[in-house]
Amino acid sequence: MKNIQNLFKIKIMVLAISLVYSCSKDDPDAVNQQEYISNVVLKVQSSDGSSQTVDWDISEQNTQSINLKANSDYKVEVSFLNNSDPSDIDDVTLEVIEEADQHQVFYEFASVSVDVTSASDDVKDGSRGVLIKSIWNASASGAGTVRVYLIHQPTNYSGTTREDIGGFNDVSIDIPITITD
Amino acid sequence: MNRPLFQIFFLSLSWFNLINGQTCNLSLEGTITDLHDRSPIIGALVKLEGTNYFSQTDFDGNYQLEGLCPGKYQIIILHPECPTVKKRINIQTSQVNNFDLEHHINELEEIILSEKRISKLRKSVQEVSLDIGDINSYGSNTMVEALSYISGASVLKTGNGIAKPAIHGMYGSRVGIVTDDFRQHDQEWGPDHAPNIDFNSFETIQLIKGAAALKYGGDTSGGLIILSSSRKQLKDSLYGNSNLILESNGKGGKITSMLEKTYSNGFFVNGQFTAKRFGDFHAPRYLLSNTGLREADFSIKLGKDKIVSGWKFGYSSYAVETGILKGAHIGNVEDLFYALNSDEPRVIEDFSYQIGAPKQQGKHQKISFSYFNLFKNQSKFEWGYNFQVNDRKEFDVRRGGRTEIPAIDLVLKTHNIIGSLSGINIENWTFELGINGLLQDNFSDPNTGIKRLIPDYLKYEAGAYVLGNFQKSNFFIWEWGMRLDQIVIDAKKYYDLSVWSERNYSVVFSDFEMQKTGSQILTNPKLFFLNFSAQTGISSKIGDRFKINASYVLSQRAPNASELFSDGLHHSIAAIEYGSLSLQKEISHKLLFSISKEKGSIIWSFEPFISKVYDYIYIEPTRLEQTIRGAFPVWEYNATDVFLTGIDFTSSLSINREFKFDLGASYTYAQDLQNKNPLILIPPLNSYQKLKYTPREGKWDFEIVHHLNARQKRFPNSNFQVNLIQEGQLVSETVDISTPPPGFQRLDLYFSYNLKNKSSLKSQIRIIAQNLTNSEYRDYLNRMRFYSADLGRNLQVQLNFKY
Repeated sequence: MKNIQNLFKIKIMVLAISLVYSCSKDDPDAVNQQEYISNVVLKVQSSDGSSQTVDWDISEQNTQSINLKANSDYKVEVSFLNNSDPSDIDDVTLEVIEEADQHQVFYEFASVSVDVTSASDDVKDGSRGVLIKSIWNASASGAGTVRVYLIHQPTNYSGTTREDIGGFNDVSIDIPITITD
Repeated sequence: MNRPLFQIFFLSLSWFNLINGQTCNLSLEGTITDLHDRSPIIGALVKLEGTNYFSQTDFDGNYQLEGLCPGKYQIIILHPECPTVKKRINIQTSQVNNFDLEHHINELEEIILSEKRISKLRKSVQEVSLDIGDINSYGSNTMVEALSYISGASVLKTGNGIAKPAIHGMYGSRVGIVTDDFRQHDQEWGPDHAPNIDFNSFETIQLIKGAAALKYGGDTSGGLIILSSSRKQLKDSLYGNSNLILESNGKGGKITSMLEKTYSNGFFVNGQFTAKRFGDFHAPRYLLSNTGLREADFSIKLGKDKIVSGWKFGYSSYAVETGILKGAHIGNVEDLFYALNSDEPRVIEDFSYQIGAPKQQGKHQKISFSYFNLFKNQSKFEWGYNFQVNDRKEFDVRRGGRTEIPAIDLVLKTHNIIGSLSGINIENWTFELGINGLLQDNFSDPNTGIKRLIPDYLKYEAGAYVLGNFQKSNFFIWEWGMRLDQIVIDAKKYYDLSVWSERNYSVVFSDFEMQKTGSQILTNPKLFFLNFSAQTGISSKIGDRFKINASYVLSQRAPNASELFSDGLHHSIAAIEYGSLSLQKEISHKLLFSISKEKGSIIWSFEPFISKVYDYIYIEPTRLEQTIRGAFPVWEYNATDVFLTGIDFTSSLSINREFKFDLGASYTYAQDLQNKNPLILIPPLNSYQKLKYTPREGKWDFEIVHHLNARQKRFPNSNFQVNLIQEGQLVSETVDISTPPPGFQRLDLYFSYNLKNKSSLKSQIRIIAQNLTNSEYRDYLNRMRFYSADLGRNLQVQLNFKY
């Protein structure tokens, strides 16, 4: 009989604990995704002053195309935005600039040939340009793709292919590119 | 007057009546010692049943019977403070037979009762025990690695130091861990979550294949690992041990020390600590950067064990920090592709003790109290309460100085209460009944700034079980058990509105909806599972040497939080993982057999099993999802039916008194019946062989161990395509995460030298060489195989003191 009483006591304790807890769990706060990047914006300025803006948006994944003329210089400025809260758009580019020593913007082209160099007002880490601002010059007409990378902690900044540079990708998106004569 | 005393009295009288009228001239002699402390048992009566031959042990515990005829006898050993021992004995030549008795009958009854709890229950299933001393002497750094010496158990790893157990190809929530009578509750769902336990605070590890210990739950279709402390001695004594281990690989070491004081009134207190520190480990050709390890643990146990009643209190704290190979941090599938196709890790730095991101931190604290009371009819009432807090943090390489902020930050609190009534004897039957209640509270800190992988939830569990066993003789046992568990999961989780409607949850689970905030919806999934589990088995001896077991286990498991709710990017394998709210409970049927030869110079056992699991929960790649880092494969939890079978074999041959040879092998076959695919992460055919040499004087011994792992040829194809830009062209390449690496062999050497000290306790020096040939291999069950080879040669020096 005593055993049964003891078992009963335990049941009461379990019930008591569950009651205390079931009343005390609050609704969780929504997470403010801090590092998230939702948009990659490329501002392409030709030497004659005309400009074109391509905004790659994660939710739309639009395929706006970059249009360049062969053998002319374009200044391309890249920015990374977090607009998961449209009322408070966060410019992640500033973080990249602040940590220039750990980041590298890199462009790779498929089916077209474009020469990319650091612009004179580019963000620099020592003598290395981060390529936030770069000069593009396409050698021949064609249609292809540019892959825009933001590389974190590269192991070899002088690498010429994505594989050589090492590190890991914070951004890797494809934008169509058309080059006319 | 109790019966043994009476018998001694009676037999003492008959001493003078002994008539030796036969022509037989064989003798039987030996020593009778206490099983626990090896002290001689004085005044025990040794008698051959049905004859007039008997002898009483002297002050050294020796007995001698002379003038025996050849033949089969039943030997009976009687002592007022020990239970009567009966053994069959065949005397053809003069021989020496030593016996161990359990001294202190009162203490013994307690042992019998406490063992009923574990070993009797499992007489009809396969069970292996390891001594913690053995684990250390095999040079293992984690409890789980030590289990790899058991046939049928394997180890899933995520690099070095992060290891979790697998039994018969099952792991995670399908393998339960019990420490001092309570289930361990940490974040056991992920393959990269090692159990947060310091095995040094226990004395034995038992591995039970199949979910046969219903006392601890009915949801572990793989099996159970039970860690337990030893029984305390009822005498005034102070003893302890210390282990110092230094290792070349990782340039680090471990120190662990335990001190225990016991009193004759039953009070005991035990304190223990472990500290570990390692730097970067190395593979045969290169350093594995950022794979260091730091650990600090301590525990205190105290209590009073007065035979008829007693209580125990325990507190333990475990804290570990483990670095994850730097080259294993990847941003997207392109990085994964390059890592897979690189011969060595993509980041190799100089040796360091620093642990940077990515890394894991785990803290586990446990407090427990238990009480038992023995009734006159030998039944035992026990209850206990246990509270555990598991704090898990995972750090990634992050932007904007956020590397110091954990990417995953979970706090899991578990209250557990158990009560049982055991040792209820009714004729040849013994019964045990028990209940348990559990309350679990998971908190996922939103300050990580990353979408929660696991949501906040409360989980309630109430369970009840009844076990029975029938034993008519020492040759046959039948046992059975049943258990019922009610599980309630009450979660609060944000879903992206797009996901919520895309998966049709907005229709099926509309009553879970709470409120919409921006692009997200807060939901309150409440899920109920009623699980019934059962087990039955028989164990029978065939003659003196053979034993067969057969058992059937039904286990039912509710999906865990990860299977239900996972939501996010898993960096280390470049996968987006989604749980599924629609999952049902998993139902497993398992048949286990074993036949073993337990005596003689060759002993062996064969242990085949077959199992069918309905609604087996698994994760499979389903499609690609575009993110800012390119397209990622999406892995979703789903259910299927699976069939598993396999066999474990162990054998041991005593060649002569100096040489002993062991051979073991294990094979598991697992097939997804609906998709007609093999299951992922099933251990390949593996075997070990050991040769041990112990010279006659026994001052030292030497052992050589050879492991052979075949290539796993049965695996599901989870490969996917990635578009890369190579030489100015967009090309599509296969990311091969499926193909298992080739088989491998490994050679380990062990040398131990016994140091004598005054108290005759064994202190030892050991020298160990692991992966002696520095062979380069990758293990299919180690996820780091994507990025690097396994560990290279390691030399260990161990000093083990007992005092």
